[in-house]
Amino acid sequence: MTALARTWDHLTLPGKALFILIPLLALLTTGLIVVIALFGKQILDILIFNLPIVRFVFAATVLLLLAPPIAFVIIYMEMKIIALMNLRIGPDRVGPWGTLLSTIHGLKVLMKEDFTPTRADPVVFTWAPVVVFATMALSVLVIPFAPGLFAQDFNLALLYFFAIGGLTVVGLLMGGWASFNKYSLLGGLRSAAQIVSYEIPLTLSVVGLVILAGTMSLNHIVQQQGVYVDATGSHGSGWFLDWYVFRQPLAFLIFAIAATAEANRTPFDLTEADSEIVAGFATEYSGMRFGFFFFAEYIGVFIISALTTVLFLGGWNAPFPFPRISWLVDPGSLGIGLLFVVALVPLLGTLLLAAPFYLFRSQTRWWVALIIGFVLFNVVAGGLFGLWAYINFDWVAGLFWFLGKTFTLVFVFVWMRGTLPRVRIDQLMGFAWKWLLPASLLNLFVTALGVLVADALRGGPA
Amino acid sequence: MTTPTPTASEHRSTDDPRITLDEGVGVFEPIPPYPPRTEREAEFYTLGDGEMFINMGPQHPSTHGVLRVVLKLDGEKVVDLDPVLGYLHRGVEKLCENADYHQTISQVDPLEYISSLFCEWAPVTAYEKLLDVEVPRRAEYIRVLSGELNRISSHALFMGWFALDLGGLTPILWSFIERDEIVEMLAALTGQRMLFNYFRIGGVNGDLNHEFLSRLGDWMSRAVGQVEANTKLLNENEIFVRRASGLGVVDQETAIRLCMTGANLRATGIPFDLRRTHPYSIYPELEFDIPTRSEGDSLARYLLRMEEVKQSLRIIDQCLDKMPDGPIMAKLPRLLRPRPGRAWAAVEGPRGVYGAYAISDGTDQPFRLKIHDPSFIHLQAVGALLPGNLLADTMAIMASLDPVMGGVDK
Repeated sequence: MTALARTWDHLTLPGKALFILIPLLALLTTGLIVVIALFGKQILDILIFNLPIVRFVFAATVLLLLAPPIAFVIIYMEMKIIALMNLRIGPDRVGPWGTLLSTIHGLKVLMKEDFTPTRADPVVFTWAPVVVFATMALSVLVIPFAPGLFAQDFNLALLYFFAIGGLTVVGLLMGGWASFNKYSLLGGLRSAAQIVSYEIPLTLSVVGLVILAGTMSLNHIVQQQGVYVDATGSHGSGWFLDWYVFRQPLAFLIFAIAATAEANRTPFDLTEADSEIVAGFATEYSGMRFGFFFFAEYIGVFIISALTTVLFLGGWNAPFPFPRISWLVDPGSLGIGLLFVVALVPLLGTLLLAAPFYLFRSQTRWWVALIIGFVLFNVVAGGLFGLWAYINFDWVAGLFWFLGKTFTLVFVFVWMRGTLPRVRIDQLMGFAWKWLLPASLLNLFVTALGVLVADALRGGPA
Repeated sequence: MTTPTPTASEHRSTDDPRITLDEGVGVFEPIPPYPPRTEREAEFYTLGDGEMFINMGPQHPSTHGVLRVVLKLDGEKVVDLDPVLGYLHRGVEKLCENADYHQTISQVDPLEYISSLFCEWAPVTAYEKLLDVEVPRRAEYIRVLSGELNRISSHALFMGWFALDLGGLTPILWSFIERDEIVEMLAALTGQRMLFNYFRIGGVNGDLNHEFLSRLGDWMSRAVGQVEANTKLLNENEIFVRRASGLGVVDQETAIRLCMTGANLRATGIPFDLRRTHPYSIYPELEFDIPTRSEGDSLARYLLRMEEVKQSLRIIDQCLDKMPDGPIMAKLPRLLRPRPGRAWAAVEGPRGVYGAYAISDGTDQPFRLKIHDPSFIHLQAVGALLPGNLLADTMAIMASLDPVMGGVDK
């Protein structure tokens, strides 16, 4: 007993916590296994009964886990594309074409010292990045990625999105205030002024779209931009002309500009203007707390692009009616032959693709040719598999178009960062209040009038 | 803003609360940490209602060199400022008094490190006046040729920094491509990339060589197009033009009172260029225009410098065309002992009039070498231009004046 007490005395605080937690965890795991073994059936019933809740928890976990990889991809895109625009090479050391560099950066910030400045407010200082990251991650919940592939679909999704997105400013203000640094303070206050100002045209520009759509559910808004069937019959041609960007062009422009400001991107990146206020609210942050701010910024870019896609660019809908191809051979009909296909096709394919390299290039060794053939076969097989998945599963096709459109918009954001200088704070505010707000009000008025006139002509309800 | 000083028991490190410190770690003394010495200091370092100090530099990411500016802010608006100089002071003028005439050339080289050739040109010309030497014509042509190349590289860098201070990422890297090409060809000529140490009293160090000429010819064939392409990114950019126009406006009278020279003066509409008004070297034989603009704002200063690049290209063309044969050094003894006297020489550098005032007492070392640096003169305009502008514009205005701290602090 004395030995245990002495060990206990020598442990650090995290050590003490682990000392209690590890046995507790072991106990819980054992208990869980026993409980599942005894009451598995009943638990499954409860889970199935509460399917929406289970689905929500599962989706939230998946999205939280997906958030850092999305940020990694966008960070890599930004590094590489801006490098190419600057006529540099950019990242090319870690992984093929430097693709793993942003991941390594993510690991690096984990290992760095997590520093709190003297006189900073430690509690607020620590929670600020958490608030920013959490709001960004929560916003992803309502975005429909593909038919059936969304975390939560409810009637106020758009309102929820703006409400949660507006909370970001709280985190930025917390970080700016708690850092005990004047640059951080200026950055935090700038972000407050900027995001609150641009929230208004951002929200107002979408109201016209909501009037046209008659719903705030993002799922329904996407469905209305493609072919869909409701009580009044089948609607939509399947072509891209159905997208809301062609029915609400002014709203799209306002939304795109305001969204850029909302995501703190160039030319509206005043909150972290490095030539003016060092790094804005993030000046005093280091380690993973800075990492959270950093990830949140890029996830912000992703969700703003995703929302623009969903609202204006047809979401998961293809830009043209894709002809349905029926699969030529049903794998099920092959029977035992399937086994031979699985065994022989990779071998024959590899040899077939390797042969030209060996036969027509005298310098290539046979094993090099085989490796090339194997890689090529994998590429071809992957492509064929993707095509098969695209044709057979709606959600694969939807995800393809959704991610394609979203990352095109992300590219536009990066492109702007490479091209444009930064606006000044008075120009920023003047633009929001003098141009964007009247324009969004005009758009709302014209849309509402148009809907009224159309209804009156049709003789329907006014 | 007063911060409560913690009692002795509260002096704990925030990172590790187990550590107790004798006194607080954060030294939040007022800036500067001594009582005010002058009335101006006392006035500046008393805060009014809602004002705060912000310390820009010396390690702020975008001050040009190690300049420190204490800004008094009201919200985002600059009320007053106190520039603190001397972080790069090396005592070059004093060092020159203890070196012989040849050695001083390498001492003055790192003053304006962006355009080193002009730092050499002015003292060398002053010494030549003291010694009454005639420089061979070929040497003069080579001086003008390399000097104009250096002017272009300096202006290219200015474009990049100015855009960077306004938030543009790309122009700095594009302009560095041009600068790198020029620096490489000057390295082929002089042997150094940055601090050339090329001009000599009575001539230049080396003749034109094959590598320099081939690099120059290669670059000249596409220089105009490159300059056009690089400036197009900014000149046709609405955000850039909106931000830079009307920023830091200097009128003619103020410019003259502030002793401004160079592009900053010509941007107000005064066509004062030493190459025409007080011709030196072979400039009278060359054809070029003195571009001026009337606005006097940051945009005018930027556009004017880009015009000057085109004029420099014209001059380089003519230099190559008229380059005479002959020696590149005048015949001089190895140890120079000019007769006692004083001489002033000035050249038109990329930043303005770069002057040198040399006094000889008959020994082999200059008795005094005074360097007149345009960066220092232009930096004093900051006090007149910044107040009333926003924090975001402080760096842009400073960049548009194009100071180099190596020349300011000497």
